[in-house]
Amino acid sequence: MGYAAARGGLAAIEFAENLVQELRDGHPSSPLETDQVTGRLRLLVDRVMGEAGLWAPEFTAQALRQAEGDVIEAVHLLRAFKSTLPRIGISDVVNADDMIPERRIVPAFREPGGPQILGRSTDYTARMLSTTPRETKPKVQPAGVTPAEESLDVIPPMQRMSDVLRDMQLLVDRRRTDDPEPFDITRMPAKPPAPRSARLSTMARAETGALVGQWYRNILGPDGYLHEVTLGEVRHGAMPITVTHPVTRNPVKIGEYRVTEVEAIEDLDGIDEDRTLFDIGYGLCFGQNERKAIAMANLDIACHRDGQRSELEQSILMTTDGLDSSGFLEHLKLPHYVTFRSMIERKIAVRQARLQTSPTESKP
Amino acid sequence: MNSTVDEIAGPPHSVPFALLDEESKREIRRALLQAVCIPGFQVPFGSREMPVARGWGSGGLQISLAIVGVNDTIKVIDQGDDEGVNAVNLRRLITSSTGIEETSETDEATIVQSRHRIPEDAMASDHILVLQVPVPEPLRGIERNMKELERMHAEGDYSKMWVSLYEDKVRNGVITQTTGYPCLVAQRYVTATTPIPRWDIPRLHQAEFLTLFGAGREKRVYAIPPFTDVEPLTFEDVPFEVEASNGAKCRLCGSEETFLVETPGSESRWSCSDTAWCRRKRTK
Amino acid sequence: MVPSKENEMTMTKSPIITPQAAIRVRGLSKFFGPIDEGAIARTGPEFGTARDPLSGSIVAAWDVNFDVAAGEALGIVGESGSGKSTVLRCIAGDQPSSAGSVHLMCHDEGRTNVLDLSPAARRKLRIDQLSVVYQDPAEGLSLGVTAGGNIADPLTAAGWRNFEAIRVRARDLLDRTEVPLDRMDDIVRNFSGGMRQRVQIARALANNPPIVLLDEPTTGLDASIASGVLDLIRGLLEELDLAVVVVSHDFAVIEMLTQRCIVMQHGRVVEDALTDQLLEDPQHPYSQKLVTAARS
Repeated sequence: MGYAAARGGLAAIEFAENLVQELRDGHPSSPLETDQVTGRLRLLVDRVMGEAGLWAPEFTAQALRQAEGDVIEAVHLLRAFKSTLPRIGISDVVNADDMIPERRIVPAFREPGGPQILGRSTDYTARMLSTTPRETKPKVQPAGVTPAEESLDVIPPMQRMSDVLRDMQLLVDRRRTDDPEPFDITRMPAKPPAPRSARLSTMARAETGALVGQWYRNILGPDGYLHEVTLGEVRHGAMPITVTHPVTRNPVKIGEYRVTEVEAIEDLDGIDEDRTLFDIGYGLCFGQNERKAIAMANLDIACHRDGQRSELEQSILMTTDGLDSSGFLEHLKLPHYVTFRSMIERKIAVRQARLQTSPTESKP
Repeated sequence: MNSTVDEIAGPPHSVPFALLDEESKREIRRALLQAVCIPGFQVPFGSREMPVARGWGSGGLQISLAIVGVNDTIKVIDQGDDEGVNAVNLRRLITSSTGIEETSETDEATIVQSRHRIPEDAMASDHILVLQVPVPEPLRGIERNMKELERMHAEGDYSKMWVSLYEDKVRNGVITQTTGYPCLVAQRYVTATTPIPRWDIPRLHQAEFLTLFGAGREKRVYAIPPFTDVEPLTFEDVPFEVEASNGAKCRLCGSEETFLVETPGSESRWSCSDTAWCRRKRTK
Repeated sequence: MVPSKENEMTMTKSPIITPQAAIRVRGLSKFFGPIDEGAIARTGPEFGTARDPLSGSIVAAWDVNFDVAAGEALGIVGESGSGKSTVLRCIAGDQPSSAGSVHLMCHDEGRTNVLDLSPAARRKLRIDQLSVVYQDPAEGLSLGVTAGGNIADPLTAAGWRNFEAIRVRARDLLDRTEVPLDRMDDIVRNFSGGMRQRVQIARALANNPPIVLLDEPTTGLDASIASGVLDLIRGLLEELDLAVVVVSHDFAVIEMLTQRCIVMQHGRVVEDALTDQLLEDPQHPYSQKLVTAARS
């Protein structure tokens, strides 16, 4: 007797909910504090905020606790939570150069304008699993100054690589003089051909693995083609968020959030393209999530160059959202016995039709 | 002058009536009105993130929440069963956020939200049927490119669908579409009838009730208004076949006139998919 | 009909209009890239190119004019790059034209220039008014569909809804095009090139269109296979009252199938004559060269 056919469906659900709650919240280990999650699992928190499209570290910690570490579940909790929040305003337009960089690398040049900051990264650290505990008690900071603040004073100005290329007249100029409203994917579904803002915002909150996989497939899969990409900027740091005060009309900084920003320089070698120029793809996402921003920048320019020839844009717009893909996959767990019964019936019908078919049916 | 975010935001919000804020509900209703004006046409809408996962009824849920009023009574079924766990979850979400009455009797309901079935009891003009749709595109199996799909619907060019029905009949001797049989609505748009069984298709044709279809993941809604022609696509000399049950009867109520589902085994046992209908017949 | 002068920018004025012309083409032109008077003047047979050396633009076809009556077959002959396929694709609607007009008696009694119709309207014409047989059968067929299914396609598009009637009609057409009927339910991908071409012809005739365009119908087939297909086409043209345009670089094909033909070179029409007369006594030096080469 399947769970669907039994009466008392509500009882079954409530029992399941209680079981989850008891085992999760009643686990004998110490409770997971919010700052333990935001402080010691920060990259996980960053990833979840990026996929939820909501910057809210404490709520994210709660979502991860409630979801017992399931990233998609945590993202779902946050997005559904966001649906209930009223939109009280829209921030002022952000200038990416306002970022206070904690990390900045420029693979394209040895000495770019401004410093390269390795920053907080394990890229060049050997991946050796450490089996001894390393967590220490919190350090006592000298009064008034944090190490990060110290180094901020001495960072020279960073010249964006896209600006350098533009000065060298090596860059396709796709700057606009108009200022169109960006496409709001939370209000209207995007479909190809879509404006670039729709593509970028879709990717900004796409599932990290889906974007990386889409990129990898586009490069090496049977239906893609190789792109020659060099990264111009990989930056991570804090951005101020500014709103216009409703009464005074002055700009007011109301907080900060962190982003990863990537500019990917693409070598143009297509028949219809100008071989003397480069073009740029752009990636931006919440928190420190470099593989996502790099994949995003690569796919941005790949899509632009593809120019609707293939279904790349359709794949990106329609198949990279984590909640859509996981939800649809897991819906297979729902009862499907009506459809299945209908399938069995058709198979029997085909079998009967074959027995009845006269051998001369398709001959003159 | 200093203001806090709280002051700008206004009084603390609680979860609104029917989970969605008024603007969202209005937007969904506008999409539904368009859908009713163009029977069978898939209208895109800004599908909201819901407490149920995509693919689990988020679209049907948004429709029910957008149209529900304080005097409505809700029935929710899955495979025809009020007690299916997903139906239970959806129903309690609706009732807890609206305070409205729930029922398992089709007669008593004003909104029936369903996954994969139409209730056996006849519904009338005071009913609205809301169907949950996994894949709203009827041509998905024969064409993948979204722009080409748009063109096919826009021009009423369904030749690829007819060729696939021809090939099906030639290869298999019968048309083997199972549930979600493609139908021509109001002689204009070919529509995915969600995975309702073929058994239920004739009941959409010239129905007295309004049927609304919600695809939350794909972000589309469509509608079949009352008294609309709904014709399953088939050749005029290949009769449309509903699921045959070869004289099987419901082991609980003895019915032969309802859609039955099977429990396989050495002794095949059939029962009504519509559990509420079955229970009522037994208790009469 | 008098050939138009290459160095005149203005289009040829409408010559004698054949009262029963099923197809009327006037001033049909196709360019790639920006075009001015100079580009027209710098291209054509005298210059040995269709490509304007100054701008790089291409005058793929310029000021093509002809009429075809019902029951008549017109050939367009030239080497590759002559513009002959371009002309066919513009009439078919596979390619947008740049200038000119095409009037079809079957559409609005020839009162509308079909080049002005929307792409959707052009597609509707392809159901039962105008068919194309392509050099590559894969272009005119769905390879993953059966032979019968490929014929069911235009039939259902024209509103056929009776399965048996569709089967009967498909059998008739396959029989007429000499495709073995026991292969009717095989998918076309499993057919040889010659057999695929026959299925394509059967499909093209499904809705009895008054106009059929054939683009190099036997090029790419083995000689022995090709001659069989040519015989078939000739038989069909004799039997049916179609207005036909045959594009080919092969004079043998033109000779076998057409009564009149036009010769194209570098996008221009250089000669326009009865097929027999052209083969016997070509006037234009290029036509002479082509005929001589064909005869040897």
